[in-house]
Amino acid sequence: MARAGGITNAVNVGIAVQADWENREFISNMSLNVRRLFEFLIQFEATTKSKLAALNEKLDVLERRLEVLEVQVSTASANPSVFS
Amino acid sequence: MAVPVEEAIAALSTFSLEDDQPDFQGLNILLSTERQATVSPIEYADVSAYRLSLVEDTKAINQLNSLTVEGKEMSAVLYTYRSCVKALPQLPESMKQSQADLYLETYQVLDLEMSRLREIQRWQASAASKLAADMQRFSRPERRLNGPTTTHIWSILKLLDVLVALDHLKNAKASIPNDFSWYKRTFTQVSAQWQDTDSMRDELDDLQIFLSTRWAILLNLQVEMFRVNNMEDILQILLLFCVETLELDFTLLFPERHALLRVLPVLVVLAAASEKDSDSLFKRVKINRLVSIFKNDPVIPAFPDLHLSPAAMLKELAMYFQKFSSQTRLLALPAPHEILPREAQEYQKHYLIVNHIGAIRTEHDDFAVRFASALNQIVLLKQSDASDSEWCREVKGNMYDVVVEGVQLLSKWTGRIWEQCAWKFSHPCKDIFPQEHETSTSFSDYEKVVRWNYSPEERKALVELVSYIKSVGSMMQRCDTIIADALWETIHGEVQDFVQNRLAIMLRTTFRKKKDLSRILSDMRTLSADWMSNTANPEVELPSVQHPGEDGNGNNFHPRAVAPTAAQVHCLQFLIHELVSGGNLRKSSGLFGSSGLDIPPSELKLLESFFHKLSFFLHVMDYTATIATLTDLGFLWFREFYLETSRVIQFPIECSLPWMLVDHVIESQDRGLLESVLIPFDIYCDSAQHALTALKQRFLYDEIEAEVDLCFDQLVFKVSENIFTYYKSCAASKLLDPSFIFASDNADKYYVPPIRFDSIFQMRRMKLLGRTIDLRSLIAHRMNKLFRENLDFLFERFETQDLCAVVELQQLVDVLQLAHKLLSEELLLDSFPLILKEMQENISLVSFSSRVSSQILTEIQNDLLPNFVLCNTTQRFIRLRKSHQSQKPQLPLVKLSFYCGSQELNAAYQGFAQLYSEFFGLPHMCSITKLLGSRSIPWLIRGLLDLLTTKIASLEPKLSVLQGSLPKSIGLLPYDGGIPGCVKFVQEHLHWASKSDLRSEILNVLKEVGIIICLMGLLDIALKEAETAQFMQIAPWLGLIPGNDGQIQQALTESGHSPMVDLFKSITSAIISSPRCPSTTSFATLSKQAEAADLFYRNNLHTGSVLEYSLAFISAELDKYQSKWNATPKTGFIDITTAKDFYRLFSGLQLGYLEEYSQETLNKSEVLGDSVAWGGCTIIYLLGQQMHFELFDFSYQLLNVAEVESVAVAHYTSSERAKSASYLQGWDKLIDGAKKARRLNNHVFSMLKARCPLEEKMACAIKQSGAPLHRVKYENTISAFETLPQKGA
Repeated sequence: MARAGGITNAVNVGIAVQADWENREFISNMSLNVRRLFEFLIQFEATTKSKLAALNEKLDVLERRLEVLEVQVSTASANPSVFS
Repeated sequence: MAVPVEEAIAALSTFSLEDDQPDFQGLNILLSTERQATVSPIEYADVSAYRLSLVEDTKAINQLNSLTVEGKEMSAVLYTYRSCVKALPQLPESMKQSQADLYLETYQVLDLEMSRLREIQRWQASAASKLAADMQRFSRPERRLNGPTTTHIWSILKLLDVLVALDHLKNAKASIPNDFSWYKRTFTQVSAQWQDTDSMRDELDDLQIFLSTRWAILLNLQVEMFRVNNMEDILQILLLFCVETLELDFTLLFPERHALLRVLPVLVVLAAASEKDSDSLFKRVKINRLVSIFKNDPVIPAFPDLHLSPAAMLKELAMYFQKFSSQTRLLALPAPHEILPREAQEYQKHYLIVNHIGAIRTEHDDFAVRFASALNQIVLLKQSDASDSEWCREVKGNMYDVVVEGVQLLSKWTGRIWEQCAWKFSHPCKDIFPQEHETSTSFSDYEKVVRWNYSPEERKALVELVSYIKSVGSMMQRCDTIIADALWETIHGEVQDFVQNRLAIMLRTTFRKKKDLSRILSDMRTLSADWMSNTANPEVELPSVQHPGEDGNGNNFHPRAVAPTAAQVHCLQFLIHELVSGGNLRKSSGLFGSSGLDIPPSELKLLESFFHKLSFFLHVMDYTATIATLTDLGFLWFREFYLETSRVIQFPIECSLPWMLVDHVIESQDRGLLESVLIPFDIYCDSAQHALTALKQRFLYDEIEAEVDLCFDQLVFKVSENIFTYYKSCAASKLLDPSFIFASDNADKYYVPPIRFDSIFQMRRMKLLGRTIDLRSLIAHRMNKLFRENLDFLFERFETQDLCAVVELQQLVDVLQLAHKLLSEELLLDSFPLILKEMQENISLVSFSSRVSSQILTEIQNDLLPNFVLCNTTQRFIRLRKSHQSQKPQLPLVKLSFYCGSQELNAAYQGFAQLYSEFFGLPHMCSITKLLGSRSIPWLIRGLLDLLTTKIASLEPKLSVLQGSLPKSIGLLPYDGGIPGCVKFVQEHLHWASKSDLRSEILNVLKEVGIIICLMGLLDIALKEAETAQFMQIAPWLGLIPGNDGQIQQALTESGHSPMVDLFKSITSAIISSPRCPSTTSFATLSKQAEAADLFYRNNLHTGSVLEYSLAFISAELDKYQSKWNATPKTGFIDITTAKDFYRLFSGLQLGYLEEYSQETLNKSEVLGDSVAWGGCTIIYLLGQQMHFELFDFSYQLLNVAEVESVAVAHYTSSERAKSASYLQGWDKLIDGAKKARRLNNHVFSMLKARCPLEEKMACAIKQSGAPLHRVKYENTISAFETLPQKGA
């Protein structure tokens, strides 16, 4: 057997591994929750964007309608004689 | 105030974040906490903690890995290298003196590029020597190091792959040596002044050799490797590893598989070309295994637009490696272009996705269902808080299995796309059928391999597969955070189960006696066992062989949601490898083959499956990165090699595969594919990502961005067009007459099958290259524009046609309006009346004319009046002659969608329109009233009446000329001359023969006046129709019911209001009294408005008649000419002989016309039709001369004479009768004409009497003295005219 030796201090390594598992449990828990937070933000952004887009759409239509009305009013006020 | 993280995160889910956008796109945002966990994020720094004496191995792995990373950057430089020489400017003659400056500049530019190449040369040399050194360490007969570990082998193979890739790139890029030679030339020029250039020159020569030698890198590597002997060992190990892994093909994702396939031929060549005989090699790896692998994959994807072929590689390398050239079996493999047609067919079947799409579809559907159900279970599990750990583990395990399956599916599918691409690149299209409009016959190579190389079915299959990949990818990615802990827990469970239970059993049985091996097993336990989570062993118990707590049933350890680290997996794999191979990698039978050691097969199997599972754990742990890699389809865009050979800067988008797919979806009108239309844009996103992060080339990103911009504009344009066409044809099909469709033989062609566009309409935030795009609003904008364009087109078209086309115009506007209504259900568009107003150009509050109305008036004035004649019976105007106007401009050809959408519907509608295109009558008038509406109709009436005024005014001077030429006196016609005598009498007295022009002019004016009056009549009918319809609608609201005497009566409710007001009042009171009413004032306004509406509609009930109004108008107008045309006789009695009144003139004109008509001297264009009578009689009637006319009209008198004569003839004998018959013969046409004229005149008079009664006033028009009062002024309310809009307005 050509192997140059196994774990030399198995007990210590075992303790360290055990501690490592526990530490990593904490880490992965944190990272998972960070990711959930991130996901929430993404979703929040998406929803907000959708809602803003819907609002924007309505405003667009209103704006165009307003423009037409303005033109109409301006034609009317340009010819006051018609209404007097 | 600390809040537990879980609670805080869970609280977030209470927010409601609905988003109705469907998922049409792949992944957009990825957050990965791992940095590609398949390699250790901390470079295996933690390996040393396990004290496995793997320090050197780890160091080597890290070195190789960083070399691989560098090498990838190098190959990115080479791949994206574009010739600089092409861009170099040429100096004009005038600037030849600054040639030296140009050389210097050129040199400086090229020097930068060449320094990169130099760097690559240096790097490959160092990489080769490092790789060789690394390999040598493991190939000594007495290995003193641990390793190579599996991870290490992979690192070696990957570096080798990078080196081979570099070599390929260098071979394939012709522009590099080209640029170099230019560089060298400029260097010679520039360096003339420099001193000490020898070293630079040497360096240049070196580089030249490097660049111009094919396979320079590989040859160098070989030299480095075989500096020492015994290289064969490690090469054979690698080769064996490759072959075994490929044959097993379980744990491999496609990038790894392709890498192995690429490396394998090189390994074979290197191993076989070593000094020793290659027999030992083929003893360990049977040549058949190699051949079958090579045969299985004749083409291997290497770069996005370049494939490799093992056979071709072997053949080419044989020239460089003499030893290898003896391997005839391997060299006999056919290169891709040498494959026999029959075999090629077989391969094609395998490579083309279209042949597998059915199976893929099933896999996808099946997987999607199972994934969703597994996910649901996880969600349920979380909610239920179940303590049943068995069920828990089962659900999570199931999730893990499904995820693994998903990853494998994605890998398989994406691999298929790569392989299909490679196959397509190796088999360019031979026969091209270009589209009609493209005349060019020569196509670039890229067009041959991409544009014409995909049949519609293949494109469809590709779109489908791409969307499967993207949708499965995003489906899996989206639930990442939900399932992550379940996955970790499962992996943890698997590992713990193995090391705590299985190993424990093995330790107690098989390995009890083998000290060395059992030590390995206990090492495995040490480095990965998680005893704390073992509920059975709450205290820290040291892992040892003699651990007493373990029985055969295994431990029930508590699950922990943590996955092992890459280092742990690495060590475990290493240890298993050690265990199985017994430290001897030179086994001939492969890793898990029959072992020389006496490990029972069942346990070997156990070890093997765990070994493979371990390598897959890494992919699953690296969830996000794995999915991102597997769904990355960016390679479909890149084409650097073809750009170089085609000598163009960039290909048009038609050659771009992603756009081809988008275009296919749009053009094929495939309803099922429609929702995939945005998926190919993900390819662009991937490409852009690849260009920025992997290739690190800004210019590529810019090119992609430019193409995406263009494609996206095209997409919006084309999709909008499709949507518009669809809704237009829907509307047209709905508006088609049902009875027509029923009678049609082939009614199906008018049916428009539904298409689901609504999901595209939901795309409010499409992600494209990191930008968020509101696709919905873009489409809405485009739709608004299209509706306007379409209306504009319809009006323009109407302007090029005559008035008869107004029915067609109205039909098409109706279709458009319905299309607008249908589309408005999906999109928020400008209201149709607003668009119509805008395009009619009558938005202004003070103008009442519009584009259509002025066109109609112009047409009436310029075309209808002069060129049409009235047929009184049908009440239609018929065209008599062509318009004299200048030729109207031809309309440009436009899209079908601007008519009715589809060809068939257009034909149907045109058929209908054809029926109305030859005359003008009531339908046209109805269309006009519909088109103009209440806003412009008054304007039109006013315009027509103004026209009438000018016509009548123009009559006056002409008539006075005729009046002047009337004889002093002309009495009643003498009876004794008979008809010829009468005619002669009139002719003698009226000396008008010389004034025939004047006469016809007057008749024409009268005809036009008549036409206008008839038009008013038609308009009256059309308006009454609309009014009646409106009345029927408002009657119930206003409480209008028929009364006893047939008159309208209003039935009011008890409160004295109409039903509508009452209804709204009660609604208002009910709402206001309710306690939850938000605002009382707004509802009070509601009932006020109902009252206003009530008032408004009631006042509008009795509108006048347009015709009556016009007649009154004419009558008022005629008052001006009263003195001239209706002179009061001085005597006070009726003037018979000397009258020069209008009726007398009209009599003469009528008789003259009748004569001409009867003698058929009129040509067709001079026929006047029935409207002359309308014009003349109306004027006569309104002047109060009807009785006079009927008494003294020449033709009437003539008819009287004829009547007397015919009575006389009846008494004649037969011989006389024959004589008189022949005598009458010449005149019967005239008599007939006169009779007809009388009938017509009577018709007109009776109509006038009905619509404009004058009798009452006539009746009182006798003075007290008994003398008749000749003209009673008919009172017109002049103020009424003032209220009509001015024409000019």
